[in-house]
Amino acid sequence: MAFEVRVNGTQYSVDADPGTPLLWVIRDVIGLTGTKFSCGIGQCGACTVHLDGQPVRSCILPVAAAAGKSIATIEGVSRDGNHPIQRAWKELDAPQCGYCQSGMIMSALALLAKNPNPTDADIDREVTNACRCSSYHRVRQAIHRAAELMKPEAGAQA
Amino acid sequence: MTRGASPGLDRREFLATAAAANAAFVLGFWLPPRGAKAAENVTNVGGAVWYEDPAVPEVNAWIVIEPDDTVTIRIAQTELGQGVWTSNAMIVCEELQCDWRKVRPQYASANRDAREMAPAWTLNVMGNGGTDPKGGGEPAFGTRARPGGQGIPDSLYRRMRTNAASSVKDGRYYLQLAGAEARERLLLAAAELWSVPVAELTAKDSVITHSGSGRTTTYGAIAERAAQTPHPHPEAITIKSPDQWTLMGTEQKNFDVPMKVTGETIYGIDVRLPGMKWAAVRACPVYGGSVKSYDFESVRGLPGVRSAMQFPIPDPALTRGRVFSGGVAVLADTWHQAKTALERMPIEWQIPAQNAAFNTANMRAALVAALDAPGRVRVNHGDVDAVFAGADRIIEATYSTPYLPRARMEPGNATVLVTDDRVDIWIGDQGPQETRFSAAEITGIPEENVYLHMCHLGGGFGRNGNGPQAEQALMIANAHRGVPIHLLWTREEDFIGTTYRAMGVARLKAVLGDDGFPAALEVRTGMQQDGFGPEASFDVVSRYYVPNYRFSNHTTSFHVPVGTRRGVGQAAHEFYRESFIDELARAAGQDPYLYRRELIARTGLPWKDDMIQALDLAAEMSGWGTPLPQGMARAIALEERGGETGGSATISAMVHTVSVSRDGRVKLERVDVAHDAGFGLVNPLSVKKQIEGQITWFYNDAMHQACTVEEGRIVENNFHLFPLSRIDEDPPEINVRFFPTNHWLIGMGHDRGTSVQSAIGDAVFQITGKRFRDLPYRAHDLSWG
Repeated sequence: MAFEVRVNGTQYSVDADPGTPLLWVIRDVIGLTGTKFSCGIGQCGACTVHLDGQPVRSCILPVAAAAGKSIATIEGVSRDGNHPIQRAWKELDAPQCGYCQSGMIMSALALLAKNPNPTDADIDREVTNACRCSSYHRVRQAIHRAAELMKPEAGAQA
Repeated sequence: MTRGASPGLDRREFLATAAAANAAFVLGFWLPPRGAKAAENVTNVGGAVWYEDPAVPEVNAWIVIEPDDTVTIRIAQTELGQGVWTSNAMIVCEELQCDWRKVRPQYASANRDAREMAPAWTLNVMGNGGTDPKGGGEPAFGTRARPGGQGIPDSLYRRMRTNAASSVKDGRYYLQLAGAEARERLLLAAAELWSVPVAELTAKDSVITHSGSGRTTTYGAIAERAAQTPHPHPEAITIKSPDQWTLMGTEQKNFDVPMKVTGETIYGIDVRLPGMKWAAVRACPVYGGSVKSYDFESVRGLPGVRSAMQFPIPDPALTRGRVFSGGVAVLADTWHQAKTALERMPIEWQIPAQNAAFNTANMRAALVAALDAPGRVRVNHGDVDAVFAGADRIIEATYSTPYLPRARMEPGNATVLVTDDRVDIWIGDQGPQETRFSAAEITGIPEENVYLHMCHLGGGFGRNGNGPQAEQALMIANAHRGVPIHLLWTREEDFIGTTYRAMGVARLKAVLGDDGFPAALEVRTGMQQDGFGPEASFDVVSRYYVPNYRFSNHTTSFHVPVGTRRGVGQAAHEFYRESFIDELARAAGQDPYLYRRELIARTGLPWKDDMIQALDLAAEMSGWGTPLPQGMARAIALEERGGETGGSATISAMVHTVSVSRDGRVKLERVDVAHDAGFGLVNPLSVKKQIEGQITWFYNDAMHQACTVEEGRIVENNFHLFPLSRIDEDPPEINVRFFPTNHWLIGMGHDRGTSVQSAIGDAVFQITGKRFRDLPYRAHDLSWG
């Protein structure tokens, strides 16, 4: 079946079985491999993307449920890798193996979009992605730093 | 813009593509060579970082300098989050004196490692072992053993493994030598060009300056000439001692990080080749089992499905003696299609009855029974039995640790293309030389024609934990020559394909003397044999002074493949040892910090002052002894490896401040870490990141993780059953301080933070009055009040 999806601002017509998880459409049909597969059951969050601005675990979301919607992946966060959240991540040297970080960043970005000043408790509740290297200590600091960089007075780019 | 989906191929096209693939690829980012003898010819784009043939002559096997001063430094170990991509480049750059801002790491060629020998000047370790600051320390590969029987001694990059926290320890001296050799040749080339004595030239930040005339040139300008200038006396090259380091020892951000925040990094799972087919596999969930039958006809018509094949148990000679399972693969245009068909395909297994009879309860019973049987005595001094015979009170405790997999985030995968005279493998792999050997054995194509393209790995945590991902992919691709095959495990399959840290039990018995310190200690550990579980790991040497001491191993046989998992057996041993020391201190009515301190002070261990310093510093940092609110407690433990030998060692102590709520919820509130800096850390930033990560890794082990066995199969096989700690369980406060010591470090990537295990146990005891000795703690009722 053909589905229309908008990914990072580009419209794609994809041919896939309606039950195919959005993750595999993003990775295999559209060819954006920054979004990762890890558990396949929506547990770990490595596959997190935004669906109409909301973070979703794309490994269990059928492509049919994403039809006509707007999807954002890690590749769409910025053109040059210098979105404030990416700058914060680099400043803190947050990733270790990095495999979970695309999903981690997408979850954190969704949190910051609705809550520009998250507390530690907000982060604990909203950023539930698993990181086997346990990069959490720096990820937390990087989220707070990104919040600072994203404030208008910080002169951060949009 | 609208883009179409990838074109579907029918079976005829598939075969045609397969045939064409054998001849030539012309699309995509991978350009094939015309023949196996040809150079590697791999063109990287985007986030791929595997070896490519240099555009200009290399200065030596580690260093390529472009005319614009870009310096490519080749890394022979796998970046899996530990920072080797950056730290090993720092080591080379320190001696090369090139501009750090223009350094670009790239993986070394595992193929060249099969064809070329190591330069003679890398073969002798500098200096006099672990306590000579001018030297190379104590590399672990003294025997230079290679995979597969005799292997290849002294191959170009010698040790390409990423294991045992050894990438810096083993590589530092020869990477320093590589940088120094290249620098001296660059200077020599400039001296010859200018007809001046080389002694009048200096090098800094890729600029060569003649002291007399002030004339300068750049590395980029002279590199091609240097590549043709042999070193006249390579045996005379010396390396900097730590007091001369300027780049090493400074915190440097990791080179791989920028690409990891954009999604650009190409991990093994991200490799795409023209004409590539995907393989989903299912191996028999009971180890040692294989496929009796499968019904491909029932799924043949599903979308995208191409073929299916059965594969045998990978040859244990290729999996370090471990017996995994046979299985079946379905090949399709996409992985999701292959996986969907595989899930629907009926499979009958051939399962050895004795393996299916194992379950956690009978395995535990067998281990406990083994403790009562004679074991292999590893340490025995004094007369333990005599002290026990005359004792009024014997303190005894039995501890246990479960099977634990690595569960790295990137599931097992490998992409393999076999043609008649060449094998190409794209993989994130902690043992590329072993995998190269497997490729040769499985395909019959010599190692010299195996091209293993190294990818960043989405988590490591133990070299042979990779299991047979490559071997399965090689068997499948060998049966589909000419077609690139990308094998990918589901998470459930990854739990079957991994090796486990062995389930273990330990019984510790002690008699305390009148002063409260142990007069005798007996340690018996039980575990399955034949693996890098606790048995083959580190001795439970009593680092603490005990006049009468005996340590013995007691083994039994189980079917679960065990292997090196982060912390190896040491992690379990530290839990046993440090927990029991806490229990003895409590029994003696003494402070566990001061109790440990005294027990170290009484030894004659060469690094005992460093261990005491670690304990003192961690205690001081934590405010040891100051009051805490109800429901909170501190616990301390020592972590060391090599501390008994007088050579290379890594020593740390941690104080863990733990809270337990009345309903039994545990939180690690704060960790204070005193860590040995040895003669010097290469990249202290990466060391801190490793310490931070390992604290939560071992918290996770202590609190949550366990794999159990039922009817011979591992029960917990995805993250809903095998929980992973999330950010809410990361300690809000981690303080790390380094203190200098007079030895080289033995590594710190896998055995720091083990103290969390015993510390939570002792904190729970302090708060609740309850002592638990079987991990994980979540299995117990931790509530109180």
